[in-house]
Amino acid sequence: MKFTNTRQAMAWLHTWLGLILGFVLMVCFFFGALSVFDREIDRWAIPETRFDPQPMPSFDNLLINVFERSEPDVDEYNLMMPQFHNPAAGEMTPRTELPADEYWAYTTHRDPVLLMGIGFRVPHPLKPDEHNHIHGSMTIDPRSGDNIPSSSLKIGSDWFYPLHYSLNLNWNYIGFFIVGIAAFFMLVALVSGVWIHRRIFREFFTFRKEKSIRRATLDLHNMSGVVALPFHFFFALTGLIIFAGFYYLPVTNTMLKPLHNMHEAIESEATGLPHERSGINASLASVDAMVGEAKSRWAARDMAGEVGFLMVHHVGDKNSYVSIYRAGSDRVSLVGEGIHFKGTTGEVLREDPPHSTAEGIAEFLTGLHLQHFEHWFLRWLYVLGGLLGCVCIATGFIFFTEKRKQQHAKNNSQGSRIVDAFAVTTVTGIVVAAVTMLAANRILPGDLANKGDWEKWIFCIALALSFIHATIRSAPVARGEKNPAWLEQCLLLVLLPVIAVIANWLTTGDHLLKTMFTDPYWAVAGVDLSLLALAVICWRVAQRLRMNSPSALVAKSDIAYDS
Amino acid sequence: MTHETLWLISAIILTGMAMGWMALSKPTHWKQVEKNAPAVTRLRVAGWIALLLSAICSLKADHASMAVLVWLMLISAASISTGMVLSMKPSWLRILTFCWLSPAIFTKR
Repeated sequence: MKFTNTRQAMAWLHTWLGLILGFVLMVCFFFGALSVFDREIDRWAIPETRFDPQPMPSFDNLLINVFERSEPDVDEYNLMMPQFHNPAAGEMTPRTELPADEYWAYTTHRDPVLLMGIGFRVPHPLKPDEHNHIHGSMTIDPRSGDNIPSSSLKIGSDWFYPLHYSLNLNWNYIGFFIVGIAAFFMLVALVSGVWIHRRIFREFFTFRKEKSIRRATLDLHNMSGVVALPFHFFFALTGLIIFAGFYYLPVTNTMLKPLHNMHEAIESEATGLPHERSGINASLASVDAMVGEAKSRWAARDMAGEVGFLMVHHVGDKNSYVSIYRAGSDRVSLVGEGIHFKGTTGEVLREDPPHSTAEGIAEFLTGLHLQHFEHWFLRWLYVLGGLLGCVCIATGFIFFTEKRKQQHAKNNSQGSRIVDAFAVTTVTGIVVAAVTMLAANRILPGDLANKGDWEKWIFCIALALSFIHATIRSAPVARGEKNPAWLEQCLLLVLLPVIAVIANWLTTGDHLLKTMFTDPYWAVAGVDLSLLALAVICWRVAQRLRMNSPSALVAKSDIAYDS
Repeated sequence: MTHETLWLISAIILTGMAMGWMALSKPTHWKQVEKNAPAVTRLRVAGWIALLLSAICSLKADHASMAVLVWLMLISAASISTGMVLSMKPSWLRILTFCWLSPAIFTKR
């Protein structure tokens, strides 16, 4: 391919990278925007968790009992135990008899429920130097210690949230890599987009909606891309930074693993936090007392706060220690100010020192993306940023097809038709899938076995049907006309959110008058209001699309002819 | 209403005004609102001052690290809002064409 100037080369790069990876980025941006309120969507989806956020409950009186009654995950045991166990050393330990090695509990200022986990150790490991853990996790009501049924899917935090960084494709982390590549090339697309934009400042506020669809679409594409450029850039960049060490450049688990293991042992010596179990049984001192001490030390540093994360290492051993981290709800950086206690006595072993400048920058960038802070207005601004990203990508698709479809029609090419079908699927289709999932959540019986799996399947089927519908209805695009699937899926999006809101009311009794006025619960009211706003927006869009549909234009021309 | 909320509301209003003035400093957009020519420099200066004041209000409302994010996102929100107002109801921006920004006083037509 030959280009006469750099701008032309950049335009080619921007167009084709944007097109190929835009479909992935659309999922990242839309579900990323929903993830800002993932906990609130969880509350909507699991009505028994609709109560106020709770602080970390007492370890000594409540958490320890939950930990002691918990078991390793069946699937993980069946998969991993044969790999971890050394048959020459003895019999394989039955699943329910595996001893616990670590406990953890995690909460945020938005969580009524508490997430807990246990790492169970393998008594006869094949590779004793490795972390041979079989895990178990549970979500509890921290007021009573009762488990939330594992069949209840946290649609926000366990489906929409991972969708935006892994596409929920976990085989060999393929989804993580696809998103990583898309994020990297999004940075390239942003730079090339700025490069090719002729009048970036002069047309900063320009949206000429009355002009041709191509002009108006390009204006909106430029505006949504430029006004939120810092957001788009930093979220793509920080998304890459967050996963760089784990997935994209996992040198500590591959080439540099021996060095990593050595560093772990040396660091343990330096910090005084035992790296290995001693093999001598010992009981745990009062963790509540340690929590009290941690809180008073944070208060002395003028950063009083609640516990966000608590972990007990080497459970039941003389070398056990307890790490307590502060919930970082009042700042952007994910710091934690960890304080570590000797498990058997409760004496302080170590306070994490202030971080270096480099660590501080990394924590700010990570915290900026993960937003553990308590700032509702900024959260909504993040939603706006995410939706502007969606608008930018969607208008990019529309501009691509509008620019080419007449030419493709003349050449009898199917290119625009294919792109348009994918565009419908990733613009309206993913919204249809998400709202169908929410509606199904309220319509399916609460006691249905594996209800969460049903909901996941319904999401996937709705998305597949959306694609099939968009493809079947895309024939007019090959003739240079509009795909009626845009209008039809918009009309579906008028109906589905209303069904979801009514189903929520009928199955829980939580209607908007109640959740907004008589017994306010804004997590549920917010989801209901957002669904209704979606229905209104889609109704307006459908009206506009109907006005511009071929049949409407024919009717208009008939009227003009008659008059 | 807490002091933080009041500072935040001030920041929102000032950012909106700032981006409005920035937009009006473009002759194309000024023409959508008024018939005469714009006082470009004054509008730009007013925009930058309002933007600076909104940054100060954000810093008064929140911890510095949070304030930076609020301010940057406010600029995005105000910019897209201004763009949409100019596209749909440009006359709404007439509220920002105070007499001291009116070109009739400072420029000869």
